[in-house]
Amino acid sequence: MRFSQKYCLFLLLILFLLSSCQKTINPGNSKGTVKLTFNNKVNGSPMALNTGIYTNPFGETYTITKFKYYISNVRLGLSGVPTIAAETESYHLIDQSVPGSLSFSFEADENSFITLSFLLGVDSTRNVSGAQTGALDPLNDMFWTWNSGYVMVKMEGTSPQSGQPGNVVQYHIGGFSGANNVLKYIGMVFPGGKTVNIKKGQTSEITLEADFNKWWQSPNDIKIAGLPVCTTPGAQAKMVADNYSKMFTITDIVNN
Amino acid sequence: MKFKILISLILTLAATVFIFDACKKNEGSKPYAPSYLKFTVPAGWPQPPTDIFKDNPLTEEGFQLGRKLFYDGKLSKDGNFPCASCHQQFAAFSTYDHQFSHGFDNAFTFRNAPALFNLAWMKEMHWDGGVNHIEVQPLAPITNITEMVETIDNVLKKLVIDTAYTRMFTAAFGDNTINSQRMLKALSQFMGSIQSFNSKYDQVKRGTASFTVAEQNGYNIFKAKCNSCHAEPLFTDNSFRNNGLTLDAYLQDKGRMRITGNTADSLKFKVPSLRNIRYTPPYMHDGRLLSLQQAIEHYRTGIVVNQSTLDPLLKNRISMTNQEKVDLVEFLSSLSDNDLLQNTRFAQPN
Ligand code: HEC
Ligand code: HEC
Repeated sequence: MRFSQKYCLFLLLILFLLSSCQKTINPGNSKGTVKLTFNNKVNGSPMALNTGIYTNPFGETYTITKFKYYISNVRLGLSGVPTIAAETESYHLIDQSVPGSLSFSFEADENSFITLSFLLGVDSTRNVSGAQTGALDPLNDMFWTWNSGYVMVKMEGTSPQSGQPGNVVQYHIGGFSGANNVLKYIGMVFPGGKTVNIKKGQTSEITLEADFNKWWQSPNDIKIAGLPVCTTPGAQAKMVADNYSKMFTITDIVNN
Repeated sequence: MKFKILISLILTLAATVFIFDACKKNEGSKPYAPSYLKFTVPAGWPQPPTDIFKDNPLTEEGFQLGRKLFYDGKLSKDGNFPCASCHQQFAAFSTYDHQFSHGFDNAFTFRNAPALFNLAWMKEMHWDGGVNHIEVQPLAPITNITEMVETIDNVLKKLVIDTAYTRMFTAAFGDNTINSQRMLKALSQFMGSIQSFNSKYDQVKRGTASFTVAEQNGYNIFKAKCNSCHAEPLFTDNSFRNNGLTLDAYLQDKGRMRITGNTADSLKFKVPSLRNIRYTPPYMHDGRLLSLQQAIEHYRTGIVVNQSTLDPLLKNRISMTNQEKVDLVEFLSSLSDNDLLQNTRFAQPN
């Protein structure tokens, strides 16, 4: 008798506790976790900032000192059904110099998903909605102050072909409206008929590769000698974006 | 036995209350209870195109924090160039009598500093409309190499170690986090609250004053010749137009085209409000015209008509007799709102 009374009180306490901290502990949902990891590579080998010396399809050599891009509006999908699991407040800055930024996780409902989609860049709404925080904080040096809007993808480096002071190569690619909108919707079906099986309390992992070598070619030839610097929205930025939009492939799926 | 259970219950409750409190992290000792303010649209005015306070609830605490930031040199590299150094209240928050304003290290700004009021009605800021939201506007002057020459990171570092700011951010936002978003939202609350709607013109419209004969004549001329761009009651339609100035060979400022990249936007600038125009000489985006008389003379005789992007309304210039010109100046003077200059709420805080 005594024992069960104490036990009841203890339970009561736990319950109260849970309800008061609802935001962090959410019992009784049927959600699992999906983790996305982005491996940035150049021609198949891991991107080495500052030290790697690379050659583009036009024989121009270059190094990479910065490589950052926004991934937003991440979604998992089923066949024939539009959106099924969408990450809330889905904004991530993938920064090759910050290892912790190369992967992120979010909760999704239990299901067997067959597609992954996201926006490469920051959707137009957030480009016009005033001061943001988190991944979108202007502190991250991805916001144009004189022409409001986010730099969606930033690459900086050097190349003997640049012809600029210090041989710099500088691509700040952005622009979220009109004909020169660089936002790219990336939709991929998981390869080999695989599914991402979200199960309660478990984590499924999706690994993607981003091949920087796609930057230079197809459909548009981008030569460093011809375009060493591109730091404003416009037709040239759009051409670069048309190329890099093809840089992603899914390389691995692990269901735990 | 029953007594024991009661005691345990009370203890449990006390513990949960305590833990519940602990779960709300970062909160100061006092509960967050800001005084909300109401932004009022003057009678007869259009609603602002977007509600700038929708995601930034206007509070007395937020306003006061923004006011402190606006007047604080900490936002600039050497401490000497607060926002208020270029946006002076006695000049309707423009830079009085300066073609260009002075920034850090003897630099001059690229353009003439505009007056600041009724910003809630302004969809795009800066002469070229490059800034799409009032909240992100301060990022431009803070980081610009001719203005405050700071980094946001550094500004935040200076604010974090100042206990007055810890107190004020907590009062404004509920906890002591100091970040760029909060700083920008507070500045926006202050700037967005600067309203001007008590000039003689407004009083005439409200029926509490009447125009002199000259002012009334000037008003008639204004309505016939200027109102299509400098539209009442804001005295701007917020559009971008070429009003016939020539390209300055040194500045090479093509205005709106800098933002859109479109040659059809070459030499177009945002139509400025003519409210408080007496307080804000010199005139135009580069301050090239020194007096109101010169500005009007520009429309009468100075418009360079062989420009492809010249506004069609101005292709024949604007004809006006000398007397009409004098009366127009009288009318434009009636747009001066002394309350804006005297209002202590907008003045430097102690
Ligand atoms: C060194 C002088 C200087 C300083 C300091 C300065 N400004 Fe300005 N401000 C200007 C100039 C010049 C412009 C016009 C910019 C343009 O059109 O390119 C301007 C434009 C603006 C505008 C847009 C107004 C309009 O009509 O489009 C706002 C709002 C503004 N400033 C607020 C601020 C705030 C807030 C600060 C402090 C964080 C600040 N300014 C600091 C000179 C300055
Ligand atoms: C076709 C549109 C248009 C018409 C009509 C027009 N303006 Fe303007 N006005 C502008 C634009 C655009 C500017 C800013 C130009 C710039 O800075 O390059 C301007 C600037 C001004 C300025 C300078 C304001 C400042 O803050 O620097 C004054 C004064 C002015 N106009 C007065 C008038 C008067 C008086 C009339 C009628 C006689 C008039 N305008 C008619 C478009 C117009």
